[in-house]
Amino acid sequence: MAASDGSNASKEKSHDIANELPTYNAENMQSNMKVIYYSRTFMSIMGGVIAGILGFTGLMGFVFYFLVMAMTSAGMAAKAGFSVHSYFDSWNRIILDGFLGGLMSFVLFWTFAYDIVHIF
Amino acid sequence: MAEDLVLDTAIRDWVLIPLSVVMVLIGVLRHFVSKLMRTSSQLPDPKIVKEGQVIIRARNLRAAANFIPLKSFRARKVYYSNEENGLLFVPKGQAQNAQAQMFSDPNMAMDMMKKNLSMIIPQTLTFAWVNFFFSGFVAAKIPFPLTQRFRSMLQNGIDLSTVDVSYVSSRSWYFLNLFGLRGLFSLILGEENATDDTQRMMQMGGFGFDPSKSLSAEKDGLDILQHEWALPKFEQRAETVLRKLVS
Repeated sequence: MAASDGSNASKEKSHDIANELPTYNAENMQSNMKVIYYSRTFMSIMGGVIAGILGFTGLMGFVFYFLVMAMTSAGMAAKAGFSVHSYFDSWNRIILDGFLGGLMSFVLFWTFAYDIVHIF
Repeated sequence: MAEDLVLDTAIRDWVLIPLSVVMVLIGVLRHFVSKLMRTSSQLPDPKIVKEGQVIIRARNLRAAANFIPLKSFRARKVYYSNEENGLLFVPKGQAQNAQAQMFSDPNMAMDMMKKNLSMIIPQTLTFAWVNFFFSGFVAAKIPFPLTQRFRSMLQNGIDLSTVDVSYVSSRSWYFLNLFGLRGLFSLILGEENATDDTQRMMQMGGFGFDPSKSLSAEKDGLDILQHEWALPKFEQRAETVLRKLVS
């Protein structure tokens, strides 16, 4: 988790103090989205390697993937200080965005690690 | 798993790892080559750039319309609608122009072809290489079970029909690498890299029609917009904010 927190260090506040009129700075929003994307990709690669080394097969592996994604979401919510609305425009961003994007990388590194370790 | 095949270690060393390494290296190479090729042929048409900037200004006006008083918003709207009115009647003759220009302009066509080719050629070459050298044996075992229908897709070098579908040939390892390394490339190469071909194709395809259609779209958007001044309560809001700061 320390690695994903490190990549979140460049988050910026994306709306001003006026609470009735949520205005979002588009550039900062985009930068925050990029941070989410990088974190998820990195965590899916790591998760794939771990799943392969531990020898998960079949459904267990996919459950592990969803677990890793949930951990990433929780980590990002914690990093944003749980005041999600000052960094993103809705909760859905950090929870659901990019969920399935890391799946292919996860499967690739899962297969790789599993083969190297178990079918040596 | 009913039968656990024991696979040779040499397959690990000489198939899986080299294939992945080669694909990563080819991706990096393609990224740098496209970067080099791009800077040598960059002649943005000033007219298109001007129209693009007008669109951006109109969009900003629409987004922030509630922060300026009604009269100034109307004044700006008339400026844009009138200005774009002149631009709007021209595109009927210009729309065909842009399209014809798009396809007959040698620079643009060559550019697009170069980009497409730089996508397709490395993939084709690598696929042919994989097929030639690495066919006819089991390369890897995927950790999750698949149905029998995938057998023909994943095992096309292997002629035994009793082997588990999880044992795949190197062709499927190539495809797995193709899709899975996209995430890795976005981490290594930064967000704009040449391996993201779908995004690039969409961008290039909409370039010629951009001026005429989005101008009229922006004009319609401006006409529809209802102005609602958000600032009359501004003094109270400023008061609450200042109170929070002071207390």
